[in-house]
Amino acid sequence: MLKITDLHASVDGTEILKGLNLEIRAGEVHAIMGPNGSGKSTLAQVLAGRDSYEVTSGSVEYKGLDLLALAPEARAREGVFLAFQYPVEIPGVNNVYMLKAALNAMRKHRDEPELDSYAFMKLIREKMKLMQMDASFLNRGVNEGFSGGEKKRNEILQMAVLEPTLALLDETDSGLDIDALKVVAEGVNSLRSPERAIVMVTHYQRLLDYIVPDQVHVLSGGRIVKSGDRTLALELEERGYDWLAEAVGA
Amino acid sequence: MNAALESLRGQFARRGGALPGNASIGEKRKRAFEEFIARGLPTTAEEDWKYTSLAALEEQSLALPEAVDVATAMAAVERYAVEGLDGPRLVFVNGELIPPACQLDGIEGLEMTSLGYALEQGPGAETLDQVVDIDRYRFARLNTALFIDGAHLRVARDTVIEKPVYLLFITLGDDTPRLIQPRVLIEAERGAKMTVIEHFCGEGPAALVNTVTEVLAQPASELTHYRIQEQADTHTHIASLNARVARDARVVCHNIDFGGALVRNDVHARLVESGAHVELNGLYFTTGRGHVDNHTRIDHLAAHTTSREDYRGVLDGRSRAVFNGRVLVAEDAQKIEAHQSNNNLLLSRDCEIDTKPELEIYADDVICSHGATVGQLDETALFYLRSRGLDAETARGLLTFAFAEAVIMRLGIEALQSRLSRTVIGRLPDSDRLREFT
Repeated sequence: MLKITDLHASVDGTEILKGLNLEIRAGEVHAIMGPNGSGKSTLAQVLAGRDSYEVTSGSVEYKGLDLLALAPEARAREGVFLAFQYPVEIPGVNNVYMLKAALNAMRKHRDEPELDSYAFMKLIREKMKLMQMDASFLNRGVNEGFSGGEKKRNEILQMAVLEPTLALLDETDSGLDIDALKVVAEGVNSLRSPERAIVMVTHYQRLLDYIVPDQVHVLSGGRIVKSGDRTLALELEERGYDWLAEAVGA
Repeated sequence: MNAALESLRGQFARRGGALPGNASIGEKRKRAFEEFIARGLPTTAEEDWKYTSLAALEEQSLALPEAVDVATAMAAVERYAVEGLDGPRLVFVNGELIPPACQLDGIEGLEMTSLGYALEQGPGAETLDQVVDIDRYRFARLNTALFIDGAHLRVARDTVIEKPVYLLFITLGDDTPRLIQPRVLIEAERGAKMTVIEHFCGEGPAALVNTVTEVLAQPASELTHYRIQEQADTHTHIASLNARVARDARVVCHNIDFGGALVRNDVHARLVESGAHVELNGLYFTTGRGHVDNHTRIDHLAAHTTSREDYRGVLDGRSRAVFNGRVLVAEDAQKIEAHQSNNNLLLSRDCEIDTKPELEIYADDVICSHGATVGQLDETALFYLRSRGLDAETARGLLTFAFAEAVIMRLGIEALQSRLSRTVIGRLPDSDRLREFT
């Protein structure tokens, strides 16, 4: 589904990704771990189309498409979803209407009929129940006045409604207490399916106790320096990142 | 002498004697007029008017308004009145009270009359010229000299008036540029609480609206004041809001400017006793060749006084806006806190904003902050919306709306909020689509 080849990306002239290779098949869940500043979040943002990062070389093939040639909204309509590390507050723009517009933009792109308000409300209530979200959410602005945990839940709610093909979760566990983490993990797990790939970017392995990945990659110095199964995450938890960096000379 | 002053001199000679008020008011008017003429109109050579030129006004030959027939007036009220405000209401069309459009059902503790009536009755207008710094605001002098009517509001001690008092000023321009001069006097007695909305709108050819409001907030009173300006893009609008805030009193002012060709809006709040608090919220959305100049001045004249000020602007077309926020902290006014911010979004390359904070601090134990931004939309927020599949134009429109909405949401009166939100959306590209989001 996703094939990243020799990806180089920089911001303000500083190269962050330095020849990254990664292949992800439908149905898989991958975790990308690494120390702060290793380029994890950059990778997630570059895949979603943030234009403050400049891709200097390399390619990303997604469902046979040249992903890097698409605008962020076009990627979203093709099923790419980024759950933000720091979701943005947009007061005055209603949560529900934003999400309805997002879903209908995707349905339109897929030549499916747009959902009317009734059908959409039915859908969102069901998903809110899954995410244990309060009904007051319906009347609020996008992330407006939300606590850190509520924002993260809202990201996964959006994901549950939009049903992406490729979900990128950027530090989704940060700032969550254990109960909220369980709710978020349950939301993500409910979306695991043979047609969908999920990429989790995370500093800590805690999240992986609840969302068990098929593969774990370690990103360091802008490249993937080690890949393995989930025992690699446990090893990182125990030993930290330094031994790896030394081992690969990164 | 320019055409404007010449014409005003003629108007004063002809009609000055017949204006409301007793002999002492008449004397006051005469003095004010002479002083106004002697100083003339401000020019851009003066620091306070550096970015706002009145050259076009100088060329206008102004006349006091003629009476508008009631049917015309009532039709205009129908067009402009904010729906959903069902409290006490005074309506003026071209400066003249329109009794059938007013709602004056007695509310206990609220004295509410037209100013003309208050002046005829003798006492009741003692506050005239008592709050405004007439030397500083020379258009206030012109108002004093030639105002015809306005509102006189007083809330009795410890009385809470729940429903907002709605003052609607409609200007219908005609072939002769008219000088429309509302005058509003508000007094909240000790412990009283009230809300006043001054709403300016209108249509037609050029007119000059020159309005002055004087607010006396007595100890422990609370006044919320709205000035909503939606006049035609041919009109000149000059406003000054002057408040004297006493011990533990609280005055909150919302200033919204969505209309006018040339707008100058002065706010002067004097915190004269400890515990006094003032809050200024502003929003201007300028389009075409519109020009909106906000000058605010907050004087912290006593210790333990606080102020907060947040003005936001959205500029489009070839419009221009000015923000000058002055905060003065007098010697011995210790333990005060003053925060000010002015943020602007420019939607076109041809608009211009001049923003300037001015802090003048003579005390040493104070907390003051100020900040001004002129900019583009938040790039992260834009990316957020686009990453949800919304196209770039819709995302930009939504964020512009949200920027203005942050001020609108502080208004606290839903009837006003929904009206102003609709106006903002209507001015953005792709507005039909944006309406679905609110």
